[in-house]
Amino acid sequence: MNTAGKAAVTAGVVAAYAVVRRRRAAAVQPSDRWPVVTVSRAPEEVRASLPEDLAHLHGQVEFQVRPATGDKGTELVAKASGDVPRHELRLAPRRMKAVLEAGEVVRPDVAPTHPGPMGKALQLVTSRAGGGGRL
Amino acid sequence: MKALCGEGINDVRVQDVPDPQLLNDQDMILKVRLSTVCGSDLHLLTGHIPFMQAGDVIGHEFMGEVVEVGPGVTKHRPGDRVVVCSFIVCGRCWYCRNELYSLCDNTNTNPAITQHLWGSDPGGIFGYSHAMGGFRGSHAEYVRVPFADHTAFQIPEAVDDMSALFASDSGPTGWMGADLGGVQRGDVVAVWGAGAVGQMAARAAQLLGAERVIVIDRFDYRLRQAELAFGVETINYANDQVGDALLETTGGRGPDVCIEAVGCEAHSTGPQYVYDQVKSKLKLEMDRPIAVREAIYNCRKGGSVFVLGVFTGVVDMFPLGALMNKGLTVRGAQQHGQRYIPMLLDRIASGELVTDHLATHVMPLSEGARGYELFKKKEDDCLRSVFRF
Repeated sequence: MNTAGKAAVTAGVVAAYAVVRRRRAAAVQPSDRWPVVTVSRAPEEVRASLPEDLAHLHGQVEFQVRPATGDKGTELVAKASGDVPRHELRLAPRRMKAVLEAGEVVRPDVAPTHPGPMGKALQLVTSRAGGGGRL
Repeated sequence: MKALCGEGINDVRVQDVPDPQLLNDQDMILKVRLSTVCGSDLHLLTGHIPFMQAGDVIGHEFMGEVVEVGPGVTKHRPGDRVVVCSFIVCGRCWYCRNELYSLCDNTNTNPAITQHLWGSDPGGIFGYSHAMGGFRGSHAEYVRVPFADHTAFQIPEAVDDMSALFASDSGPTGWMGADLGGVQRGDVVAVWGAGAVGQMAARAAQLLGAERVIVIDRFDYRLRQAELAFGVETINYANDQVGDALLETTGGRGPDVCIEAVGCEAHSTGPQYVYDQVKSKLKLEMDRPIAVREAIYNCRKGGSVFVLGVFTGVVDMFPLGALMNKGLTVRGAQQHGQRYIPMLLDRIASGELVTDHLATHVMPLSEGARGYELFKKKEDDCLRSVFRF
């Protein structure tokens, strides 16, 4: 692919991502729905871990713990009571789920040293992808 | 260290990259001994999966020797010989506990991309783009293995390196197609694709009790290999009408189970290939589901179709009417390898499952670009290029 083609594809990726974000933002007000993750642990285990793992959000986020259906464990609900970015509101319960279930949050490998124009555009997306998504 | 990196569309090169480090307590570092190309790599290299960065290390089917373990690793020690599943899994989320390992909740470090694309994020894969976690691949002298206790498996003494290699991905992927496709004793099973995954699916169907197994491809050398290795029946779709042949073979019913092991860049000889090519070039269709359409159309009433090939997005002309009116069960998955790898290693050790014939071209990593070229263009009867370190 030539440089113009790469630039076009890069622009397309960024534009598509922006469109998806805009459409989602337009369709759902972030404060309307609470980010929820399901943790494959018992409610009392999740409840016991809350203060330690989420201490940095103390006073800004209200957490609720409720049993999930069937054998799926516990639903952990996060709702901002202060001025917490949605990104952080998604990231915190995700990370807590990983710690409770797997013992740690897996870290990505070191990024390539020469990602190229498309790679740089992609890095813009992935740098925030841990706190992005549909939650 | 040296590693084979994707540098752009159809451009792979051996580069110097930093050695991997232990980044998590449950990581280990593996010295790679063997790593093989896979058909799904071609989707990355052709730009079909546009979430690569120049310099990403590719490769996801491999085995090697443990050289370093983190403090949270209990099952492996330096010096151990292991095969590593292409999917990185935590082993403890609900999906892992229910043996749906490729759906692991805790190993995709970039969940947003696939959540937007597909609604939910599957687990992470080695060397398979930043949409699937951005983990470095295995075409490298060393690789970091996260959640090593759940991602890597000890290789029994009786299994040689080359045979064990294919227990990493193609073996369990193929087995899953037959297993979750619901193959039962006495079934007729048709497999689209005579590559490594298709051959493994065919052998799995035999071992699960299928009475007849028919493999479909356009390359005689691949069909011959499947015939010789496993005694399956074959159809070359370049010379034969697949539907007519399957009807004749099955007494007019169609196969009980159809396994698609081709993926999103399928070929055919008919007008639908031109149609799909044009639509995909115009970006009006992401994948070419030719083999899936054919499997659904030719499957017997009430039968089962399993999609093993990798697909990325939306497809056109999906035969929903046939699916519904014939009462089919259609299922698909990335491989739940952890569910099958120990059993497969035992079957390899006992001689029941032969895999080493899949490695038709063994070469050093320095010839990585040639290995992919042979594989992609199906030159010199290449089924799989394998890089030896």
